[in-house]
Amino acid sequence: MSTVTCDCRSPQEQRLLDKIAGKEDKFRKTHQRVFKMLERFDGQKPRIDIERALYFTQSMQETEGQPLVLRWAKALMHIAQNITVYVQDDQLLLGRAGCDGRYGILYPELDGDFLDIAVRDLPTRATSPATITPEDAKRVIEEIAPYWKGKTYHEALNAALPPEVHKLTYDDPQGLVSRFIVNETSSFRSSIQWVHDYGKILKRGFNGIKREAEEKLAALDPLSCKDQCEKRPFLEAVIIVCDAIVLWAKRHAVQARALAQLEQDPVRKAELLRMAENAERVPGEPARDFWEACQSQWFTQMFSRLEQKTGTTISNGRMDQYFYPYYAKDKAEGKITDAKAMELLECMWVGMAEFIDMYISPTGGAFNEGYAHWEAVTVGGQTPDGRDASNELTYLILKSKREFPLHYPDLAARIHSRCPERYLWDVAETIKFGSGFPKLINDEEVVPLYVSKGATFEEALDYAVSGCTEARMPNRDTYTSGGAYINFAAAVEMVLRNGRMKKYGDQLLGVETGDPRNFKTWEEFFDAYKAQHMLFLKTAFYQQYVINKLRATHFAQPMGSAMHDLCMKHCIDLHQEHIPEGINFGYFEYMGLGTVVDSLSAVKKFVFEEKKITMDKLIEAIDANFEGYDDIKALLKSAPCYGNNDPYADSIGREIDRISVEYGGKYSMKDLGIHNDVRYVPFTSHVPFGKVVSATPNGRTDGFPLSDGSSASHGADVNGPTAVLLSNYNTKNMGMRDRAARMLNIKFTPKCVEGDEGTEKLVAFIRTFCDLKLWHVQFNVLNKETLLAAQKDPQKYRSLIVRIAGYSAYFVDLSPDLQNDLIARTEHDTL
Amino acid sequence: MYTVCRLNVLSHNFHIQQLERHNMGFELDDNQQKGMVFNVQKFSVHDGPGIRTIVFTKGCPLRCRWCSNPESQLHETDLAFNVGRCLGVSKCGHCTLACPFGSITVGSNDIPKIERSHCKDCEHKPCAEACPAQSLLIYGKERSVEDVLSVVEQDMVFYARSKGGLTISGGEPLLQTDFALALLREAHNRHIRTAIETCGMVQEETLRAAAPLLHNVLFDIKHIDPVIHKEQTGRSNEQILANFKMLVTEFPKLPVLARTPVVPNFNDNGKTIKAICDFLLPFEHVHYEMLPYHRLGTQKYQFLDRPILMGDVQLNNKKFHGLQNIAATILGERFHRPNK
Repeated sequence: MSTVTCDCRSPQEQRLLDKIAGKEDKFRKTHQRVFKMLERFDGQKPRIDIERALYFTQSMQETEGQPLVLRWAKALMHIAQNITVYVQDDQLLLGRAGCDGRYGILYPELDGDFLDIAVRDLPTRATSPATITPEDAKRVIEEIAPYWKGKTYHEALNAALPPEVHKLTYDDPQGLVSRFIVNETSSFRSSIQWVHDYGKILKRGFNGIKREAEEKLAALDPLSCKDQCEKRPFLEAVIIVCDAIVLWAKRHAVQARALAQLEQDPVRKAELLRMAENAERVPGEPARDFWEACQSQWFTQMFSRLEQKTGTTISNGRMDQYFYPYYAKDKAEGKITDAKAMELLECMWVGMAEFIDMYISPTGGAFNEGYAHWEAVTVGGQTPDGRDASNELTYLILKSKREFPLHYPDLAARIHSRCPERYLWDVAETIKFGSGFPKLINDEEVVPLYVSKGATFEEALDYAVSGCTEARMPNRDTYTSGGAYINFAAAVEMVLRNGRMKKYGDQLLGVETGDPRNFKTWEEFFDAYKAQHMLFLKTAFYQQYVINKLRATHFAQPMGSAMHDLCMKHCIDLHQEHIPEGINFGYFEYMGLGTVVDSLSAVKKFVFEEKKITMDKLIEAIDANFEGYDDIKALLKSAPCYGNNDPYADSIGREIDRISVEYGGKYSMKDLGIHNDVRYVPFTSHVPFGKVVSATPNGRTDGFPLSDGSSASHGADVNGPTAVLLSNYNTKNMGMRDRAARMLNIKFTPKCVEGDEGTEKLVAFIRTFCDLKLWHVQFNVLNKETLLAAQKDPQKYRSLIVRIAGYSAYFVDLSPDLQNDLIARTEHDTL
Repeated sequence: MYTVCRLNVLSHNFHIQQLERHNMGFELDDNQQKGMVFNVQKFSVHDGPGIRTIVFTKGCPLRCRWCSNPESQLHETDLAFNVGRCLGVSKCGHCTLACPFGSITVGSNDIPKIERSHCKDCEHKPCAEACPAQSLLIYGKERSVEDVLSVVEQDMVFYARSKGGLTISGGEPLLQTDFALALLREAHNRHIRTAIETCGMVQEETLRAAAPLLHNVLFDIKHIDPVIHKEQTGRSNEQILANFKMLVTEFPKLPVLARTPVVPNFNDNGKTIKAICDFLLPFEHVHYEMLPYHRLGTQKYQFLDRPILMGDVQLNNKKFHGLQNIAATILGERFHRPNK
């Protein structure tokens, strides 16, 4: 059984928290500390902490006119000096970006121009509700927001987009409401996802980087204006920011030591003293053992969140690789047990679970419902010289994933053709635990693709999963602004309405391709689609061109740059448009592949080939949102659909992919100077994008969500998961390189993967995924709740297949009575 | 244990068969051989090793009261009506116009009423073709080996990793002897691993001819008592048990999984299960599995407008586990318990 709706596995923490509250978890006994911490914020509504925004703004007010990178470093220093530091009960790690419990922080450099209004609205917004104290709200409105009016990136972008681009981007003159047609995402995060080279900090510490910057500073040519105007402020910024994070860490040490003085419990007292010692040493100096390494990474990660808002929050990188030497050494010396190592890791997971990735803008909120964030922890994969990289820490992290009760961390397992059976078996067993993690990323697709785009094998083999499905090479890769999310289902609608959309009335948004009733052939219809498609791509690339230039003048990130080899080498901030020797992996999003393919397939088959309905009748039915046209709707749904390994549909998908990839190939490097590749990863945004598109020729009704990522339309994949994978493969243009991630969600009933035999089959399925060189797959083993949902909403779950020996049926075809039977069996594991 | 290589035996027998066919002046290419198939189901994970595709053929000599695939019983096509998908006559009604006998009329609740007496004379069943909602369906279609295998081969990349392949099932797949053997021969030609799910109620010669072309056999042993067997399936089990013995003695290297559907008031008692296990005990390479009765097939009886002989009866879970214990005690590791 296969895909239904899905996003990139956004954490459904509430459900799990309820479970913790409701009954004793079987892993509680062996994870006492973290369960205690989790219970403290169980069910808590997230709070907005304004300190970061406040101190950032205060400092920026003081430094106007100075180089941006220097201003940013000074702002971070001001934050480090003033922000409240916390030592939480039971925690073994120090460092957070805000108050106790579940919290989110603000980035007024992104949204300061409407922050006052948003803060007023926030508690009542349907999606992502959060609380803010009246005093804090007042300070936002009076002290923070006013400074940013007229200064934000968002305003600059809104002003810079020419009218023909603006009208497909925004629905209002202020650029606050998206059209959800060619949607820009650069204004609600300062870059797309990113991952740091944490290993470098563990080995050298920020003091080591600071020394490098000092040496470089001393070696600058005093007579060179470039050295003095560009490199000097950059290096000074690096030095300030290295000092800032060390200062911030040491303030934690002071606090922990003070608490230790008061602590009565000798065990906790010792812990607090050790934590203080850790914070005195790292991240300034190199880590010496596993605890210091965890602390160093955690400070780095959290301070990086204070620096800026990257898409999906900053990722964790290849944790089983950079932590391994410390873990192995401690184990060899008998200094640490696996249980203790796991506890330290889980103290990090708790910190992740408490953080909320706040999106203030209405569009940002719609993109990321449920506070989703993906700070991917990568395990497995290959070493830089192409050997299997799995080690004992890999297995410990996987074990923790099974036993830790929340959907954190966002765990990604790299898969390659020579993965040991033990690794895949452990991965499969972890997936079977039901949370859907780890998600899998395929080395056999990512590595050659990155090499083809200019990376060395060593760099490509050492990639880390970053954010939802992306991959980064932390010292070669450079930043990119968020790219366009393009609603290609709207392109289909524009063909049917001669460049217009039902939602936007008579306004001409697309190309006037003529009245489709006059089209004589399928080719004419498809040409009209391509005309709309090309306009969207052109608009997206135009946006990106403006965005790349503007970003460099609005954002800086001295800390991230300090950790990047190329930035240090060339003394240039990572937000600058072009980093010498860097490779910039940008992408644009193809929204609604399944919706578009199925729609085009239905038109081709029923209107032009079999002539079962006329174009006039089709448009009539669509205008009526199929009300009174149930037979036509049913007929349209019976067309060959994407996700069934059906060449009829898949060949259309491949052609659509081809024209997109080709466009990127032609204009990315030439015009933008960066890669801008086609990607199929929607977060949860296929829902808001669907809301603006009226009924489509695949039988989808007004406002219904689009298909997500590279998955099939809801319930359209009726041939099981092997066909879903093959359709994905069929629609890829493997001979071209200008493609990025494809997200794919697969659902299994527990019976399909039951017992050791089931695990074996899942392993074989994963190996085949690897053979097919698909980028990403995530499995979800269904539970009772999903089946109950399917019972309520059969349209969405049309493709749920029941697999029982010698028998087959679709779940939704069963009577409610029999469905209940099946649900009961699922619950009792005897399905 | 499933993947015992039988290639030597296979290719030897295969060449002999090819030769015989040639000598007989047999013209019809295996690829063109046609059979009645009612489903080709991908990603089947409970009917043979690995990830498999099941080809379900029509026609069965037995009429088991609990049959979960009633659409498989007749060789001819069946018309099914899934009322859950029907849009209603007032909104659609294409079927009422399409029926050449005028046998589909408006029934209660806007649902078409189908008078099935003419259906058996109606070869093409245009009502199903006219139904846009796939509410009216035809079970069974004449398909060639070539056609069927082209679908089976789509998942080769999955078989390669999982040691899976093709399973022929039914009905009783060997009932359409020429088609089944052609399908197996051609699958062998294309290096697709094959398995069969058989009720055993076939000509001994057919089974003997099929065996060398198979990598795995799933053989139903429903009951040991011939009288009760006849009572509940319509046929005695003598030939089934004889065929089973022939298969396991003449083809000792062919992995066989004997399976018992555990059905309430038929064989869900310790005595019967013990008797089956005792019967299997001497055949050391035979493994055993028990499949709990489920009611999910009852839906299809409604689709076909046939009486549900089993009614609402359900298998007692606890009882089933007890029977599993009996089998485990007798057969040890040879008994497969899925939940392990």
